[in-house]
This record gives sequence, C-alpha cells and structure tokens, in this order.
Amino acid sequence: MALSVGFGLAFLIVPLAIVMPLAFNGGSYLSYPLEGLSLRWFGAVLHNPPWLAAIANSFRVALGATALALVVGGLAAIGTMASRRLTAIVLWALFVSPLAVPSIVMAVALYFAFARLGLNGTYLSLVIAHALLGAPLVFVSVLNSLRGLPPELEQAAASLGASRWMRFRTVILPLTLPGFLTGAIFAFVMSFDEVVIALFLVSPETQTLPIALFAALRDRLEPTLVVVALSLTLLSGLLIFALARLRRSAAPLGKDQ
Amino acid sequence: MSGAAGRLDIVGIDKHYGAFHALRDVSLSIGRGEFVTLLGPSGSGKTTLLRILAGFETVTGGQVLLDGRDITSLIPERRDFGLVFQGYALFPHMTVFDNVAYPLRVRRVPRAEIARRVGELLDLVQLSGLAGRRPAALSGGQQQRVALARALVFRPEVLLLDEPMSALDKKLRGDLQQELRDIHRVLGTTFVNVTHDQEEAMHMSDRIAIMNRGVIEQFGTPAALYRRPASRFVADFLGKSNILEGVLEAGAGGPCFRGGGLAFPVPGAGRSHGPVELMIRPEDAALGPAAATGGDVEFTARVCESTYSGDRTLYTLAAPGLDRFLVYSRAGGGAAQDIGATVTVSFPIRECAVIGASSPV
Ligand SMILES: Nc1ncnc2c1ncn2[C@@H]1O[C@H](COP(=O)(O)OP(=O)(O)OP(=O)(O)O)[C@@H](O)[C@H]1O
Ligand SMILES: [Mg+2]
Repeated sequence: MALSVGFGLAFLIVPLAIVMPLAFNGGSYLSYPLEGLSLRWFGAVLHNPPWLAAIANSFRVALGATALALVVGGLAAIGTMASRRLTAIVLWALFVSPLAVPSIVMAVALYFAFARLGLNGTYLSLVIAHALLGAPLVFVSVLNSLRGLPPELEQAAASLGASRWMRFRTVILPLTLPGFLTGAIFAFVMSFDEVVIALFLVSPETQTLPIALFAALRDRLEPTLVVVALSLTLLSGLLIFALARLRRSAAPLGKDQ
Repeated sequence: MSGAAGRLDIVGIDKHYGAFHALRDVSLSIGRGEFVTLLGPSGSGKTTLLRILAGFETVTGGQVLLDGRDITSLIPERRDFGLVFQGYALFPHMTVFDNVAYPLRVRRVPRAEIARRVGELLDLVQLSGLAGRRPAALSGGQQQRVALARALVFRPEVLLLDEPMSALDKKLRGDLQQELRDIHRVLGTTFVNVTHDQEEAMHMSDRIAIMNRGVIEQFGTPAALYRRPASRFVADFLGKSNILEGVLEAGAGGPCFRGGGLAFPVPGAGRSHGPVELMIRPEDAALGPAAATGGDVEFTARVCESTYSGDRTLYTLAAPGLDRFLVYSRAGGGAAQDIGATVTVSFPIRECAVIGASSPV
C-alpha cells in the first residue's frame, strides 16, 4: 500500500522536483549544478513585456472561454435534466463528444472553419475553441450536481408560485453552485494549459502562455522558462486545491437532503 | 386570519402510465372549506391523484374544476394551491423565515407585510423562536410545521397534503393531527390530504375517499364509511369487521338471512332474495347469551386466539360454518377466556349492515 503510493508519487513528482530548482539558478543556464540561488529570473519574467503579454492573453482567453463554457455547458445540463431518459442519453453522448475528438483533429477543423469566417488569430477564435472543450467539462459536473438535487425542491418552488427562471435563480442555482464552480475551474485550467489548438489559432498578438513557452524553448534555454512553468504549475495546484475544498463543502448538502 | 376556500370538482379522471391504468374514471366533488382525505393501500393511486390536482401530472382524460373553472392543464405555479410534500421539500439553503417568506417574495409582497405574515404563520404553527434556523437543524415535526406554514402563508384556496405525517412517530402524529384540524378550522381553507393511515383519516376528515387500484370505492363521512361500507373492500379496510356470507330468503316477517351456520331475520335488507354479505363490527358483538348482552342472535364458538390491549381484549373465534369471528370484550366485562374454551357469542341484528346497501338494516 505505502509502496504503491510512494511509487505513484515518485513517478509524478520526480520530474518536477528535478526541474523546479532551476528556477532559482543564479547562473544563466538551464542546467545543473546551480550557480548559487537567486530570484533574478523571477524578476526577469516580471520585467519582460512579451511574457507579461502572454500571461495577460492566457487569462483573457481562459476567462472568456470559461464564461462561454459555463453558459453553454450549464444550459445543456439543464436541458438534458429536463428530457426523457432516452433523449437524455443521446444528449449526454452529444455534449460530451468534443472530449473524445483528438485535439489535433479539432485544431485542424477549427482552423479551417475560422479561416472561412476570417476569425483566425483573434481572441474570439481562441475563446470559442477553448469553450468548445470546456463546455463538456461544465456539462458533466453541473449535470452531476443537478442529479443530486431532489426533484421535489423545484416542484415545491413551483407550487409556491415561482416561475421557471425564479426557480432556477433561487433554488437550483444556489444548490448546484459547487457543480458550476467545479466545471468553471476545470474549464479554466483546460484553457490555460491548452497547446495544440492554440498553436493553430494564435497570432503573435494573441499568443498564450503555453505557446510562448513553446516558442521560448526553441529560442534559448533560459531559467525564465522554468519560472513560467513553475508559476503555471502553482496556479493549477491552487485551483485543484480549491476543487478539493469544493468537493468537501458540497458533500453535506448532498447528504442532508 | 382566515383564508379563501375553493371548491374542487374532479370529473371522470383517467390516468394511464403506458399500458398501466393508474386512475379509472375518478370523480369527486370537494366542497368549499372541506377536509377530505384520500385513503387507500399502497399503489392505489392517491399520490397520482394529488399530483394531478397540483398540476405536476397530466391526465389521460377527464377534468379538474376549481370553482367551476377548468384548471386541468394549468401549470402548477398558476394554481395557487398549497402543497405539503411527503419529505417536506424545505429549501436547505434558506432559514425557516426565508422558507416561509418564499411564496410571498415570489409574489412581490412588500417587505413589511412579509415580516408580518411570516410571523403570523410561524405563531400559528408554534415555531416563532426558530425563524433563524436552517431546516437541517430542525426535528422532523418542526420541519413538517415549516412546510405547512410555507404552504399556507400565501392564503391558497386549496391545501394539498401528501402523507404529511408518515415520517413522524405515533405520539407526534397524534399531536399534529389535532393541530392540523385546529388550523383547518381557523383558516377554513379546503384541505385534501393523502394517507394510508386509516386512524388519521378517521380523526381528521370531514369526508374520506377510499381508493383501491385506481378506483374510488366510496366517498363519505367517516361514520358512513364505517357503519355502511359500500363494498367488502371498504369494510375490511376500515377497522376490523366480521363478514357473514349467505343468502336472503323470504321469511314470515320479511327477508331472512341464512349463512355461516346462522339464520335470522333482517327486516331492513330492502330485498328478499339473492346472495348477500352482512357486516357486524367486533365491538357490536359480545361474549355471553343474547338475553344477557341485549343481542338477538346467539351461537356458540371456540376461542382460537386472544389479544389483550389493556382496555379490552380481542377474541378470535371459530364456529361451524364460520372460520373467523372477532369479538371485543371490555376490561371488567367478564372473566378472561382461555384459548380452546367454548363460549356463547351474541349480537343485535340492528347493528348488522348489508354491504353495498345505502341504508342500515
Ligand atoms: N411515473 C410513473 N410511471 C409508471 N407508473 C407509475 C408512475 N407513478 C405511479 N405509477 C404507478 O401508479 C400506481 C399508483 O401510484 P401512486 O403513487 O399514486 O400510489 P399511492 O396510492 O400514492 O401509493 P403509496 O401509498 O405507496 O404512496 C402505482 O401502481 C405506481 O406503480
Ligand atoms: Mg403515495
């Protein structure tokens, strides 16, 4: 038991553990041994406009994609919930299908589609593309929390005179908020880390962080790379921690109803 | 504080679930301010009928009329019916106050009036001190009262209750039954209650509709159902009963019953031939010869079983031609009888009811 956990951890952590210290290298090379410890490369990233622009782009795209994914995925989940059993199964398969398509296929398809619309290289194209991948994640997590909601709650609200929208706003949304937040975090992280589709759709102005990393990797191997990678990892880690907290806070609600 | 009351007419309702016929030609007229209970065994269609009244279930045929207006296909949020669910369905993320205020907020009632009316209702259900609590921090009985307050605060014309007491223990159920009756008297709202607890139905209702397999077997006052059951099902379902199967024959002084090894005149039977079922309640029969008990019919039987319950004992007897006859014996009404003993039983003819006849014998 302890052995298998240890092995799994080693497998996941060791590569990170080997690379991460390089962010604090006092020298200019991406290699061991470290030439003293320093934070100079963190400063270098913060004073480097291209890196800052890439970070800003990533946030812009990820936030936009998350918002769009929330609306589309949330509506899809609500619609699926309201459908009959068989329809619901078909809808489920349909809404989840973007996850099953290889990203490279998706990337090529989107590239041509957006080219026709003249959208290639715009933020909008990236937002739409990432929302396409984020929506199924939102869909699945919202659908799960909707399924955990006793149907009598909405019926009670209806019997008390609440319209469909009112019922959603005052009863369903507050009680399935953990599902929406979980979906949002998944969608955000997905967009923030996405490379393949972004590679096809970015222009120099809309370059996201992973793409900038990719480009820098080809240019020159500097510790700034690892600094950026470390920051990405920390952000993801933080969001995953938030997810774990969400799961805990969502549990008692599911139980006492 | 008194509410409006609506008159409900249920006209020839049919409900199919696929090939399954859940309700068959159900018709009921529920008067303004009446307390009506739908009573029947599990699966008889009580919840289905209540959900049709609430608007959550469509009908295959028939109509629901409120004060003469057809509401069969009106959506639930337009019906303005109060509804208490079996599991209460309180909103877990809202306090007691917010739960009860919900229907008023939905109706955009001014804030000050909401506070006043919620306070009034919480007083009515004796929960004034708990307005700030969440439902999870309430006992089952308290949750039930919140659900009741929430369903009544907007002064519905009709209150629908689906087994409101089923999750509570017996003692609490008794208290709440009394309270529900008091509330009904104060508000004067039309109540339609569903239960499969016959005692609850008898205690609370003005009239009871007995349901069985999607059909209304009988609709009437508790006393009418108990004394003059329209079918053998009703006689068996409400309380304990002895059914004597036999035939009516013309006798010297009118119709005569013959069956179960007994023969006696039934002057009020209304007809004088054909098969018949007579019901006699165990509390109307007595141990002892007719002369001593004030009865008319007398026979001897063997004691098969006795069940003691403090104030009285229920004897299960058997006699030739009668494999089961139940008699209550009051405490102090004679010595206890051992199993296997031979006893004399008697009952007065005037307490017999012909099943299916609309008047007593
Ligand atoms: N959605 C449904 N689909 C198919 N059959 C149903 C559905 N709802 C109810 N039924 C059937 O209709 C019949 C009546 O159900 P209903 O829930 O009205 O019974 P009930 O009298 O309320 O019983 P209980 O006392 O157990 O609550 C049952 O046989 C049930 O299986
Ligand atoms: Mg039921």
